[in-house]
Amino acid sequence: MQNVLSKARTTIGALILSLVGHGAPVVADETCQSPYMTPIKGQEEFVYVWTLGMDGVGDESDKLVTIDVRPDSETYGKVISTYSVGGQHEAHHSGLSDDRRTLWAGTLDDSQLYLFDIATDPAKPRLKKHITDFVEASGGATGPHTVFALPGRVLITATSNNRDHGGRSALVEYTNDGDYVATYWIPTPDNMQGATGKEFADGYNYDVRVLPRKNIMLTSSWTGWSNYMRDSNEVLQDAEAMKRWGNSMTIWNLHTRQPLKVLQVPGAPLEVRWALGEDHNYAFTHASLTSKLWLIYQDDKGEWQAKDVLTVGDPENPTFPGSIVITNDDRYLWWQGIADGTTRLIDVSDPFHPKEIYKKKIGAQINMGSSSWDGSRIYFTSSALSKWDRDDEQAEQFLRAYTWDGKELKQSFSVDFVAEGLGRAHQMRFGAHSLYSDVQTAQR
Amino acid sequence: MALGTLLGALAAASAAGDEDVDVRALARVAAPPLGLPAVPVPADNPLTAAKVALGRKLFFDRRLSHNRTMSCAMCHIPEQGFTNNEVATPVGVRGRSLPRNAPTTYNVAYQRSMFHDARDTSLENQIFGPLLSPDEMANPSVGFLLETIAGAPDYAGLFEAAFGGPVDVIKLGQALASYQRTVLSGNSPFDRWHFGGESDAVPDAARRGYALFTGKAGCVACHALGERDALFTDHGLHNTGIGYVLVAGRAERKDAVKVELMPGVVVPMKLKRGSGGGARREKDLGRMGITDDPRDLYAFKTPSLRNVALTAPYMHDGSLRTLADVVRFYRDGGTPNPALDPLIRPLDLDDDEVAALVAFLESLTGDDVDELTADARSVAVGN
Repeated sequence: MQNVLSKARTTIGALILSLVGHGAPVVADETCQSPYMTPIKGQEEFVYVWTLGMDGVGDESDKLVTIDVRPDSETYGKVISTYSVGGQHEAHHSGLSDDRRTLWAGTLDDSQLYLFDIATDPAKPRLKKHITDFVEASGGATGPHTVFALPGRVLITATSNNRDHGGRSALVEYTNDGDYVATYWIPTPDNMQGATGKEFADGYNYDVRVLPRKNIMLTSSWTGWSNYMRDSNEVLQDAEAMKRWGNSMTIWNLHTRQPLKVLQVPGAPLEVRWALGEDHNYAFTHASLTSKLWLIYQDDKGEWQAKDVLTVGDPENPTFPGSIVITNDDRYLWWQGIADGTTRLIDVSDPFHPKEIYKKKIGAQINMGSSSWDGSRIYFTSSALSKWDRDDEQAEQFLRAYTWDGKELKQSFSVDFVAEGLGRAHQMRFGAHSLYSDVQTAQR
Repeated sequence: MALGTLLGALAAASAAGDEDVDVRALARVAAPPLGLPAVPVPADNPLTAAKVALGRKLFFDRRLSHNRTMSCAMCHIPEQGFTNNEVATPVGVRGRSLPRNAPTTYNVAYQRSMFHDARDTSLENQIFGPLLSPDEMANPSVGFLLETIAGAPDYAGLFEAAFGGPVDVIKLGQALASYQRTVLSGNSPFDRWHFGGESDAVPDAARRGYALFTGKAGCVACHALGERDALFTDHGLHNTGIGYVLVAGRAERKDAVKVELMPGVVVPMKLKRGSGGGARREKDLGRMGITDDPRDLYAFKTPSLRNVALTAPYMHDGSLRTLADVVRFYRDGGTPNPALDPLIRPLDLDDDEVAALVAFLESLTGDDVDELTADARSVAVGN
């Protein structure tokens, strides 16, 4: 563990030194990633989009789509590679190993894990391993979601289970080679595993992020397969189903993977974003159902607490945020609304008193946002879930790239995922040749 | 099935699972809990421990669906009353929306017909409905399903041991029926009071509720009792107006509905235009969808009331959330419609009487619920 913490400190320290020492950012990497992950030196060159197969579109199958984002490339803003895995599995999130050689892509429906080699030729990812026994190996966890890099390991949040397809689930740990290590179930009232906060525990799970210097891991909560796989009209009109959304976050001991405290955070708190400053011991999350921004922080006594600090948009007309992105100086946070297709910039420099300062309509619907490390480029994708996406005449599926100059978002390019025969664009990850200096890379 | 034959089967109990569990399962059938009649067992499918164990294993095996995500038990969840308490209507393969609530499998051995519209005739047959329905388990063919089972190493020899031959359609139906036939639940507080003579087995409210149930509320006309046992069903089909509600509701439906996003937070929300890839909730004609007989319009089967406190939400579409909601629905005379069953009429019940009826219904929970759950979970989920 000492090595883990030491490496984390080194990595974070290197990043901070890079930023401070040069006055202007010289490294580019997406924010919100694992501190154990190798950074990209220079601009991201490729955006990998884990894409859901869509009826009537292309081969209708889930696929990894690679988009060229090298500004000087002849194929800038174009799709340069696709890898279809065959069939529709509810592709959703993906993540990178600490060495960024492998992109792990999970499926929420049938719990597949596809491991893509993005090091041999970053412009053309290739499947190197397909894990089909995630459920069996984990002891019943289903619906792999977040893939979070730990040193030599990945930690995967599962979102459901094989006993009732409800929201009770677990964290599942693998080696970088794809070998199962362990399962850690989220605390429930009848099995708190030593944690406090029994009155808030629901066993649900969604995202995970860590704060190594505090030896803390934080998980959030969503809903189970029976809700996220189901048509949204049906769920919204089913009073029983609407009671089955996560209302908790869990503080864990990162080293031992033991839960310590369950916090009450109602309304399906989704993405976890720790502030990056070395003395910023707080994280944000967005309650998707209530459109509230929550702050997770240590109080004067060192106790972890949760507080809602902002309602974004009209409470009577929730934005249903799908993702948040924090900037590398912890001053701002991008908020992506599924319902209104709008991204909002929130000033979080005072984390207890955030303010919305800018907004821009990106499309009919947006879900994910990914920012370059320096914050000058931000990418948006459209799809939430196959059965939650808009389906009216305004429905669209896209990746749109923007530049941010501190005042205005300006579109750089847009890829129409329907016209291109691709499907529903969801999670993005960045790649670059510069990560793999030890590899004889293919054509630049 | 003759008692002697069953006892013989008990003695020869051996199967893939926990032998004690299988022995107890057979014992439940041989001597049903208080309040339940003798279990009808088809002459061509006598119960054996090997069949029960095999049927249980199949029931909990998610490999029995096209993409290996759905088992029978994903909609008939042991800890949720062998139905799904968390949704009004269950969710099929790839999230397909299903129009009807999952009926409990408690005491399904006594059902004379299967499904809410009584379209199938036996437990042995009915399983092929969900196994092959593209909205439920979505096996693309019988052959695909049989090959899946035959090719699974952990099934090697099990059909041979239970039936003397490899898996086929008949044996598959018989194995699943054999397990389900053992899920018997009785000896409830009501049974111990009414049939067992324990005067203090139920609270006063439940006794008052029973008097109303069999008296002025008239529930017993459809939820019938016998002299020595009670299944609380007439095995018939009735139009209570619940089916008509859906039709009327659709006609009036607007683009927005009120949604409780979290306790106490209710907002109007705009619905999508289409189904988003899920199956559309279509008009449900009930039994008429099978018979084409207008007299069967919106007619659905009378469910048993045993363990009803565990099987929310209620009615064929899961539209009522609590037992009190159900009692009030009948108190108000159901939903008027041209084909409303004449047995459904407004009832003169005050709130205390509604509460008494609920107390009675809550007294129908069998004493072996935990045992049945443990029995169910004695087998590993197949993935």
